[in-house]
Amino acid sequence: MEALAINRKESKLRVAPEWADVCFTCGTCAGGCPVTGVDGMDPRKAVRMAALGLDQELVDSRFPWICTLCGRCEYACPQGVEILKMMRKARGLRERDKVPGPIHKGVVMDLERGNNLGIPRDDFLFLLADLAKEMDEDEGFPGFYVPVDKKGANILLTVNSKEPFGEPDDMKFWWRIFYAAKEDWTVPSENWEGVNWGLFSGDDESMKIFVGRIVEHLERLECKTLLLPE
Amino acid sequence: MHDPCNYGRKGFKTFGHGYFEEPRWITQQCCENYVEMYPAKMNNFCCGAGGGAWAMPYEQERIFYGRVKAKQIKDTGAKMVVAPCHNCRDQIMKSLDKEYGLGVEVKYLWELVADSLIVEPWSEEEIKAANKLRDAQYERDDVDLDQEWG
Repeated sequence: MEALAINRKESKLRVAPEWADVCFTCGTCAGGCPVTGVDGMDPRKAVRMAALGLDQELVDSRFPWICTLCGRCEYACPQGVEILKMMRKARGLRERDKVPGPIHKGVVMDLERGNNLGIPRDDFLFLLADLAKEMDEDEGFPGFYVPVDKKGANILLTVNSKEPFGEPDDMKFWWRIFYAAKEDWTVPSENWEGVNWGLFSGDDESMKIFVGRIVEHLERLECKTLLLPE
Repeated sequence: MHDPCNYGRKGFKTFGHGYFEEPRWITQQCCENYVEMYPAKMNNFCCGAGGGAWAMPYEQERIFYGRVKAKQIKDTGAKMVVAPCHNCRDQIMKSLDKEYGLGVEVKYLWELVADSLIVEPWSEEEIKAANKLRDAQYERDDVDLDQEWG
């Protein structure tokens, strides 16, 4: 193996060379992590890899994706090493077509169609109306409907696309609370996705676009409160 | 009560406030016998499906990860776990419960609230007003519930 040059400029993970000294290698992070040992890895080893210039090896490994970015290691670290930030950065450095699972595909779908699963506007509005009718007529919530794009509503509610896609009745939990509270609320007809997979895929640019959409809804509909039940 | 990383630990780090007490207060209004998991709050263990892991192709690793949470849940002896996060709820309800034979009911925090409500139907006037708004909205959005779909 060739000698590695360790410096801030060459480190893809933007880890300062001082990290090698800052980290005590005490293993507190590894001791508290439930996936320590998987693939022979643990957070302490991941930090050592970054500190020693093995950036690409870490980026190419499965570990940043098996790690759930829960942040327990970072909280416990006596030296304040930003392990969570490093892991997410490692995810972001993975080539986009090599991001495991559907999360990058979801990001692309959301950018193009307004939600991770590509549910069309008409289907979404029909589903909301259909479920609302069940509550109104059969479930003891007379007068209930789902206010869509209602200007001036107090609460703007985002939706997790898995619910309209596969667990539509679960949307009624919030709706039942709103009915009982006589809340003034609304759902956007488009770009209503509440799940920001850019957070998980390490894609800051897309993440910002999704957050921007929600801000745009709040401004356009003049809503005072955001309810993002994720 | 399962503390989701994003509402608790990461909320604290990012915004200076971890939502630990709020869900506990709500849960205790709905349930008589509340039991804590240990450790909890800032030192809480992840359910094992955070960071998109629920959607990742590393299923065995996700279940292995969740063994710690599963044991925490089992040790409480509780019949129900409140999970105020979509990821955590799916992992505990659809995976850990089965894989580790927990036999617990799992609810979203807002599901627990919805299920605890005694709902008073709206008055005639309120219903009429809502129907009017609904009809105008369906007209605007071209929503016709009587049309044949597909």
